[in-house]
Amino acid sequence: MTVTAISDMPQSDRLARTSGFGLSAISAMFGLTIRQHLNGKRWMVLAGLFLLPVGLAILIRAVSPDVPHRLLEFLLAFMFIPQALLPLVALVYASGIIQDEQEDQTLTYLLVRPLPKWSIYVVKLLGTLTTAVLLTSMFTILTYIAVYIGSPEGAGSVVTRCLKAVGIHSLAVISYSCLFGLLSLFTRYTLIIGILYTALVEGLLANLPFGIRLATVIYYTRLIAYRSLDFIVNVHGHTTNASANAWQLDVRNDPNLLEHPSLRSCLMILAGASILLTFVGAAMCSRCEFRVKTPGGN
Amino acid sequence: MKPIVVFHEVSKWYGNVIGINKLSISIPAGVTGLLGPNGAGKSTLLQLATGQLCPSQGSVRVLEQEVWNNPGLNRYIGLCPEQDAFYEWMTGLDFVQTCARLSGMNQSASKEAAERAIYSVGMTKNSRRAIRGYSKGMRQRIKLAQALVHDPEVLFLDEPLTGTDPVARRDLMDIVLRLGAGGKSVLVSSHVLHEVQSLTPNIILLNRGRLLAEGHVRQIRELIDKHPHQIVLICDEYRKLAGRVLAWDDVESVRVMPRERGVTVETRSPDAFYQRLPALALEPGLALNEVYSDDDNLEAVFKYLVNA
Repeated sequence: MTVTAISDMPQSDRLARTSGFGLSAISAMFGLTIRQHLNGKRWMVLAGLFLLPVGLAILIRAVSPDVPHRLLEFLLAFMFIPQALLPLVALVYASGIIQDEQEDQTLTYLLVRPLPKWSIYVVKLLGTLTTAVLLTSMFTILTYIAVYIGSPEGAGSVVTRCLKAVGIHSLAVISYSCLFGLLSLFTRYTLIIGILYTALVEGLLANLPFGIRLATVIYYTRLIAYRSLDFIVNVHGHTTNASANAWQLDVRNDPNLLEHPSLRSCLMILAGASILLTFVGAAMCSRCEFRVKTPGGN
Repeated sequence: MKPIVVFHEVSKWYGNVIGINKLSISIPAGVTGLLGPNGAGKSTLLQLATGQLCPSQGSVRVLEQEVWNNPGLNRYIGLCPEQDAFYEWMTGLDFVQTCARLSGMNQSASKEAAERAIYSVGMTKNSRRAIRGYSKGMRQRIKLAQALVHDPEVLFLDEPLTGTDPVARRDLMDIVLRLGAGGKSVLVSSHVLHEVQSLTPNIILLNRGRLLAEGHVRQIRELIDKHPHQIVLICDEYRKLAGRVLAWDDVESVRVMPRERGVTVETRSPDAFYQRLPALALEPGLALNEVYSDDDNLEAVFKYLVNA
């Protein structure tokens, strides 16, 4: 039982094995993040919340079979999920990218490895995005199944709509995660600030027909949904555009929404903003000093 | 011989609180003990030396390289942190292997290195159990294994013996001694002089972020031994234990602590006392759950030294 067992290895072998920042370290960090998420209880809570739209779809269809499937889809998959659940998923996971490791005092094990600090943030963010996207996609699909199973709508059309919804939700949750991930580097109160931001900015301001909504994730998410899916529903003989009314889109005066960004612009803005936020977070991390509280109390 | 760790005029502030105050010190190769009471700045010093903290003033160099924002240097540095924190759901092997992979090793090499490191700390038998079920001694051993897994040149051990039972303490001390004998440089912090003294005669004394003394332990031992030492023993049969240690000549007083299920012993011959402990712990019903020295005690000694 001696430590020289490690030292006995040839120097060349030892140096090769400790070549530092590489694919192995990145994959280890990524895997560690995913396993942390799986071993936590958060995904169970979030899965429970995600089952709400599924349960509501089943309940409404059982109680009011006349409700149009597309209206149900709109209300659950494009009102409830993006407005309430996606920011919550992003907030719950992204706020803990570094803070969880700090609070658990395990960040030390990452900081004393030959990994640049920015890479710790970026790889852990990628792990967070993976978890958030998988969780979101899985329950979006379940919601669609609950809404459309047994409906007269063609399977091909439903699958296409479902895949588009998965894509839109994924992009939204990625944007939210990058935003809240960056926020978590500034403050320890990310959860509180994130909830306030979601309620006031993404909830209240984004629903007002003013320019301020151009600074919200939900605005672009809705525009992408509006431009790639139709939500024309017939309720009691009246045909109506459910999304235009609900999202304050003035289709009467601007039927093609020429005053709003195009589909491509919306996609690029959300993707670009996510990349920019990640870069800013990485740059901040590379200069940041992360203090891990020791029993001694520093 | 070139120093392994060099602090030059280093200060570290946490807001208005001073962690390290204008510290200049050169630590040579070999085993060095870092001694000081709680709040002396030991952990801050080790966090600065391992690049976790950025000095507010001055420079910190390890192996002749600047430490701050130099992740490549971590290939040659190992840290056993003070905090008792782990990914509790992992097994010991999984944890050490993950640390090896984070150091850049591939899957097979990391497994091999993890098994070797775990073997070297005597944890092979328990390596496939979840860390959450480990005793304090096992946790300290596995923490040491992660520090060794990438075969670093310099090891920083922050209070590695805290809270361990006498057997684990002895084993961990042996490991540190073997590392030193094997050519590694080890900086080990403690607030218990006798622990450090068993590992190395070279000590650095810190108090309130300042360097109090450095050099051979013998020079300050004479001063320190003039003060009685308080040692806490935690044992299920603490009343029986109290009666047993009270019979020893060098024990000046014994205070029973029913709430903690332990006793506080005051002695002027701590070395002799510690030497008798392993045999005592083997007596029926006297298995010791924990042994530690009161921080307040060392604080008193340091006050004495500062005044002296």
